[in-house]
Amino acid sequence: MIEKGKISALQMGIMMYHAIIATGILFIPSTVYEAAKQDIWISPIWACPLGLLSVYIAYKLHKLYPNHTIIQYSEHILGTFLGKVLGLVLLLLLYTSVSVMIWQYGEFVVSEFLPHTPKFVIIGMMVLLCAFAVHGGLEVIGRLAEMVVPVFFLLFLIIIILLLPDIEIKRMLPVMENGMMPSVKGSVALYTWFAQFGIIYFFLPFLTNREKGMKSGMFSVLVVTLTLMFTNIIVILVFGSVTENFNAPLMSATRYISIAEFLSHLEALVMAIWLAGTFIKICVFYYAVVLGTAQWLNLSNYRSLVLPVGFLIGVFAMQAFLNSAEAAEHFRLVSQGLMDTLVYGTMIPMFLFFVAYIRKLRIFKQRGERER
Amino acid sequence: MSQVFNRRKIKFNQKNKQQQDDKLNSNPLYPNLDQNLEVLHSLYKDCSDVVFRSFVIADQTKAQLIYIKGMSNIEEVDSNVLTPLMQKADQNSINPKVLIEQRLSVAEVTRIESFDACIDQLSIGNPILLLEGDQQGFALGLSKWEKRAVEEPTGELVVRGPREGFIESAEVNTSLLRRKIKSPQLKMKTLKVGRYTQTTIMITYIEDLSDETLIEEISQRIKRIDIDGILESGYIEELIQDNSYSPFPQVLVTERPDTAVSNLLEGRVVIIVDGTPFVLVAPTTFYSLFQSGEDYYHHFMIATATRWLRFLFLFISLLLPSLYIAIITYHQEMVPTTLLLTMADSREAVPFPALVEALIMEITFEGLREAGLRLPKQVGAAVSIVGALVIGQAAVDAGLVSDHMVMVVALTGIASFTIPRYNIAIPFRMLRFPIMLLAGTFGLVGIMMGLLAILTHMSTLRSFGVPYLSPMAPMKGRDMKDTLMRAPLWKLNTRPHLTGEYNKYRQDSDQKPSPDKGSEGE
Amino acid sequence: MRCMKVIGLIGIILFLLTGCWDRKETNDLWIVTGVGLDQPKDGEVEVTVEIPSPSGNEGGGTGGEGNQAGGNETILQTGKGVSIPKAIEDLETKLPREILWSHTEAIVINKELAETGIREELDFFIRHPEPRLRSYVFISEGSAKEIMALLPPMERSSSEVLIELAKSEVLMKVTLFDLLEMLKGESGASILPMIDKLPPEEGKQPLETIAYINRSAILKQGRMIGTINDRLTRGVLWFRNEIKESTVTVKPEEADGLISMNLMKGRTNLIPKIDGNQLKMTVKVETVDDVIQNKTKWDLKKMKKHKMLEKELAQKIEMRLTDTLEMVQKEMEVDILDFAEEFRRKHPDKWKGIKADWKEIFPTVKVIFDIEASVLRTGQGNVP
Repeated sequence: MIEKGKISALQMGIMMYHAIIATGILFIPSTVYEAAKQDIWISPIWACPLGLLSVYIAYKLHKLYPNHTIIQYSEHILGTFLGKVLGLVLLLLLYTSVSVMIWQYGEFVVSEFLPHTPKFVIIGMMVLLCAFAVHGGLEVIGRLAEMVVPVFFLLFLIIIILLLPDIEIKRMLPVMENGMMPSVKGSVALYTWFAQFGIIYFFLPFLTNREKGMKSGMFSVLVVTLTLMFTNIIVILVFGSVTENFNAPLMSATRYISIAEFLSHLEALVMAIWLAGTFIKICVFYYAVVLGTAQWLNLSNYRSLVLPVGFLIGVFAMQAFLNSAEAAEHFRLVSQGLMDTLVYGTMIPMFLFFVAYIRKLRIFKQRGERER
Repeated sequence: MSQVFNRRKIKFNQKNKQQQDDKLNSNPLYPNLDQNLEVLHSLYKDCSDVVFRSFVIADQTKAQLIYIKGMSNIEEVDSNVLTPLMQKADQNSINPKVLIEQRLSVAEVTRIESFDACIDQLSIGNPILLLEGDQQGFALGLSKWEKRAVEEPTGELVVRGPREGFIESAEVNTSLLRRKIKSPQLKMKTLKVGRYTQTTIMITYIEDLSDETLIEEISQRIKRIDIDGILESGYIEELIQDNSYSPFPQVLVTERPDTAVSNLLEGRVVIIVDGTPFVLVAPTTFYSLFQSGEDYYHHFMIATATRWLRFLFLFISLLLPSLYIAIITYHQEMVPTTLLLTMADSREAVPFPALVEALIMEITFEGLREAGLRLPKQVGAAVSIVGALVIGQAAVDAGLVSDHMVMVVALTGIASFTIPRYNIAIPFRMLRFPIMLLAGTFGLVGIMMGLLAILTHMSTLRSFGVPYLSPMAPMKGRDMKDTLMRAPLWKLNTRPHLTGEYNKYRQDSDQKPSPDKGSEGE
Repeated sequence: MRCMKVIGLIGIILFLLTGCWDRKETNDLWIVTGVGLDQPKDGEVEVTVEIPSPSGNEGGGTGGEGNQAGGNETILQTGKGVSIPKAIEDLETKLPREILWSHTEAIVINKELAETGIREELDFFIRHPEPRLRSYVFISEGSAKEIMALLPPMERSSSEVLIELAKSEVLMKVTLFDLLEMLKGESGASILPMIDKLPPEEGKQPLETIAYINRSAILKQGRMIGTINDRLTRGVLWFRNEIKESTVTVKPEEADGLISMNLMKGRTNLIPKIDGNQLKMTVKVETVDDVIQNKTKWDLKKMKKHKMLEKELAQKIEMRLTDTLEMVQKEMEVDILDFAEEFRRKHPDKWKGIKADWKEIFPTVKVIFDIEASVLRTGQGNVP
């Protein structure tokens, strides 16, 4: 196999957790607030089934082809040519997706911390760092995710505890002021994040305990849902209707923390967990892209692709959007349902699964006819 | 006779093993004593420390005693070898071999059959006895040379715990281990490495606790070494570690027998190198480098608190100057107003940017520390006085640095001393500088990037197949009991998992003391 | 390995190419602790910044002592322009160093400016990443510049006095965030502390005094429409459940003197109710007080007197609340009491119908008081 390292199902779950939550805790509250208002904490519950579905389909496909990733079994299912075409589409979607992630990271660092630093340096640093990790292989990414997770939870807990003096239950009320619809509408924006769980089709073949793959994937979805709910609750309790005024409400909330004069302006904490999470998120997708490309090109080793691909996504990320208005337009479209992640995370696997299922039925039928 | 040494040039690997054995046996002693002596004389030509003493056993057999001055116990040789052998025989014709068996009052007598064995024995100080007409010689275990007494190790001081440390002699070191582990399952394999130094290297492990493949791997790696000399275990460490381009130690180094034994009991392998008190323990993980033997002698709560303190200070020693730089030059909003005003005040007269200021001070501090280590003790006091002046009030008064910087540097210095092992403290001291540069360019984002880079690097490391960051990553819940905290001894029922099969349970599971337990008889 | 080397190389190159774009040494910064906004004439904004002067003692690098010794060494600088950013640009041309906004904890807005609207001006402080959401906002009677110029005798600067005053929570305390929330709220009304110059003591320089909070300014849709005095402000605080410090003095009719009580705990619950077209609001107040001074001959340890005292206290509070209501609800017709939010929260469906006409409906809301006052301790003993 092209990847020699193995990760445990737990590591995969943690990797996916970071991949979703890193950007989620920052941007989800204000994105969802537009539609869901003070019910933003309900929205993750509606979006959660999509994540479960993505994991389920990826796992079912994995059951059919236990040693292959999606790039390989799409050829099996659709035939070489169509399979390659589908693989290319998938890879292109992943390329754009990871570029947008890196762009988002760069934009956030520039706007929040280093307004005068050239963006290419910030993006370049991150891509290099990720290249370093991706070159180490899947094992390294898995371990990194595991190392970061306790720090993440610890800091998250600290932030929540420090925000407790500022919360006011009043701000969350009334629950479901306009019925269920606003929160359901808000959850549409969340599909972007939850659909990304589909990407586990790149990791399932490399698990040490494959039978636990689905369980840990599902578990990861649930923990993501819970974390998002907690984040949204705390944000709404602290900021209430002002939430939408902030680009990254959790960040602004930690900025708002002030306990005993000294514990104030703790946005560095959020920055730390966000940066570590984003690093793992980008690593996960970067790795998927590199592995997918190598498999698409039938290479025997993916490591030689790490730097070229890194360069490519770095450049894409630089050119992703011309200005913040264009980006806002993009994210608005995405949050209304026109999302690339949904295509590669859920729809393509679902399509493949149905084709494989139908073909299997036909094979059974043929076999049955022959036997008769 | 260069062919005797030629064998060293042959690579020790599995393929050549047979060949090598042939070669060893191809230099047998001759039956003729003069012939043997001729060979030995030519080997030890111009070696004035080698003594050849010829005598006659019981007036009949010519014999030769060879030893190296200062390495053998002469008095014992006189009284236990020469005196009894040179006595007149009771019977007229007697077999000298029988005579040796009867009269030689020496405990350790080894038969040697080749010149190579002869040289090996001589060089460890054993006198050699060669007989006329005998193709076998005798190596007498009477070596004795000057060695240091077993003392308290200076590098790893403890408040509570045994006060003995390893010394330069491998024999004494193994005896220290054997004194603690009485079971015959403590095994020691001896290897010789170094073309000229022929250093004895002992691989010690406990059978059934250590993984067979691990022992095999370690001996293979040591056997692969082809170097002219091994002077310290550092040579071995550098030549057997998994990743050479890593500042992090992948082998644990200790001077303390109790530490070595506790590692043996966890299924690790201890490598003793003759000529140094520092033994190597492999495989090792990042967290085990932060454990001190003392952790297990104190109450577990205290030990856990101490460990946390160590990790806290590890971060301080790595990050404090960088955090200071980042906050004072990028994130002023994080400082409370009053403090920021005082900071700004004290920096007002400093001509350098905070980064340069920090670099100057940190480099000065590292220099002072190094000077303090190397200088003779008599001069040491002078250094600390000068040092106090350099990084003290004088520097502040001179307007070179600010008050806060002095505090930061001092705290960083203290922090780097809290780490129990010198070799893990060094990489963090070193990595402090690149992170400072990152902090000076990107602020906190840069620090985070640096930390992630270090973490990524550490994730790629393995020590003899064991992931460096285990049991945190990959997560092994059961082994976490002895990493960030030290669980009570009655909870530490299982050994940490290293590689392959292992003997899982180290003790009976129900050991928690309680007053009810003793009352069974009543 | 080769790949790693390339990564390392690129990393080093990237690193060496970098300068320190965002580096700001503290010696190149002016740390602004207070901002004053004035309106010298229509369509113009004057920004005054207050900067504690770095290093009081000249040339000394010893630091630490310099700023505390002087007590009031601050630098004032003003800039003018059509908008705040323009004014700041003007300001920056006059300052040799970069301005650091992140420690701005007091924002003083001049009354004239507040009357024309503060919503637009606040936008700057929210969009800018530096200023804190916890900055306190004040409205000044006179010019904000003058307030900033004061040289308070005990604190370092005028803004520090204001911050400490706001923190003590005797009267209104409004942070930038609170203000933002009020502006966004359903009622569109906001209340801000109003400050004025304390007349200097005799024999002192005219500037050697402090500003103090004595009233509250009422804003409607971001425009200041009037003020209420300190007594009514406390009433508003009662309604908003923000009361922290309050001393109530009662003069029982049967007694011959005053009894003063100090608030220990005060809690207000607003319970909205909709009866057909009539909106009702029950104001439920629970308060616990301690007696701090007893000028009467009452023995407060007696149960009967104790009960009477509690009744007096409840009456007194109700009186205050009624007065406040009279002013705010009937006269000013501004919902700074957060009734709108309460109705929205409890009756979201009906609220939709009311929302549009809230301005007309608010003065008609019937308010019922339900005050539960108790006196916990009556002091150590009595003066015989």
